[in-house]
Amino acid sequence: MDSNAIFQILINEIRSIIPELEDHPIARGDAMADLGVNSMERGDILVSTLEAIELEVPMTQLFGPRNLGELADLIHAKSAQQ
Amino acid sequence: MSDNIGIEAMNLYGGRASLDVHALCKYRGLEVARFENLLMDEKTIALPYEDPVSFAANAAKPLIDQMSKEDKSRIEMVICCTESGIDFGKSISTYVHDLLSLPSNCRLFEIKQACYSGAAGLQMAVNFLLSGTSPGAKVLVITTDISRFALDDIEAVQEWAYSEPTSGAGAVAMIVSDTPHIFSIDPGAYGNHAFEVMDTCRPGPDTEAGDADLSLMAYLDCCNGAYKDYARRVEGADFRESFGYLCFHTPFGGMVKGAHRHLMRKLYKADMAVIDADFERRLTPSIAYGKHLGNTAGGSIFVALAGTLDTVELTEPVRVGLFSYGSGCCSEFFSGVITPHGQKVLKAMNIAEHLQQRYKLSIDQYEMLLKGEHTLRFGTRDAVFDHDIIEGLVPEGGANNWLVLDSVNSYHRTYRWV
Repeated sequence: MDSNAIFQILINEIRSIIPELEDHPIARGDAMADLGVNSMERGDILVSTLEAIELEVPMTQLFGPRNLGELADLIHAKSAQQ
Repeated sequence: MSDNIGIEAMNLYGGRASLDVHALCKYRGLEVARFENLLMDEKTIALPYEDPVSFAANAAKPLIDQMSKEDKSRIEMVICCTESGIDFGKSISTYVHDLLSLPSNCRLFEIKQACYSGAAGLQMAVNFLLSGTSPGAKVLVITTDISRFALDDIEAVQEWAYSEPTSGAGAVAMIVSDTPHIFSIDPGAYGNHAFEVMDTCRPGPDTEAGDADLSLMAYLDCCNGAYKDYARRVEGADFRESFGYLCFHTPFGGMVKGAHRHLMRKLYKADMAVIDADFERRLTPSIAYGKHLGNTAGGSIFVALAGTLDTVELTEPVRVGLFSYGSGCCSEFFSGVITPHGQKVLKAMNIAEHLQQRYKLSIDQYEMLLKGEHTLRFGTRDAVFDHDIIEGLVPEGGANNWLVLDSVNSYHRTYRWV
């Protein structure tokens, strides 16, 4: 699974948690906070994404990315290590 | 030596003034619909003439007053657990010890590890008693924390966002002994998870800083890690079956809900309907008081325990699982047993009634207090306090059951019962 596929999963999870973003375009350069996703929701989206790709990694290792593209890249890098 | 050790008596002091956090959110322009997910209604506001010492003493006084002279003489340790310290050297326990007229053959000290401090204090007390070095001894453990926001910088309001409505204040006092009416701890049944992380901190005397995402991540990692360590130590432990109720560290109810959901999915791949029903049954009682106090930091798991004891129907002893998390970070999952008798003992403290009787501050009054002109800053050498800042709150000729700050002289704080 490449970074773009993970990015698509992130988008699906965002839209399932915040249905108002269903028709809103989401790009790799977007940050979840800028899309109006609060920190609890960001946590849920991350947990669901990790579940979807069956990746077991401490959440704190996924801290730092400034946008969804960077987050997808980081998750991809972590999954490649396993 | 008895291995039946735990909390003999407990009391919660939730302040004398509160603020409706829904009104605050509206006033600050925060999204109210999202705020509902935080599961909060009110927060305690510490008044300018209240500090972590007065909070601690106000929590402990009713417990001490009901003890016999002989029992009081067996209090051999006072542990204050806080991240709101008032001095780098002198502990809050020294003031509390004096204000409660406790015996001089006593260990006095303070414990710090963010919101984990209370669990650390309880375990310290429990392990002292389990060691059997002083049979029959009692320990007074008090968690006391106050968050103060100050409008020094009007821009700061934006940065606070949801942390302003969720930060609270409160103190929980506990007598820990070999007659644990309230909570009998399961000796040796605990699990820890700790690692260095800069999620939230208090880098200066009156400042708080942090990152909400990193803090949530660390909390979830710890919840998972501490429970796993508990399960490693306790044969046959099952998160769903072993505990009738659960009490998690409660920065706000929504965080507890998120952590419980995370664990149920990780451990059992449970679906949402099962998770929601389980939360409602085993965790909703734990936020009964927290949602009226805000985050009480070191005391929040005990606020959760008090809420559970005061709101559930018990007909037999039930095991409770507690999860404590303190930023920075350290965490612990441990367990103990509550009983119908313990409920009666706690109900006598009338916690719900005291919380309902608090003065409800208007937004204008809150903003006035927030400006901080009357706030006692860390390191203040001399000060006197205006007890009429909110008119009528400090009664003339009161019942002498409420401790307030009177003055500070050469850094030494003096207090008065009103």
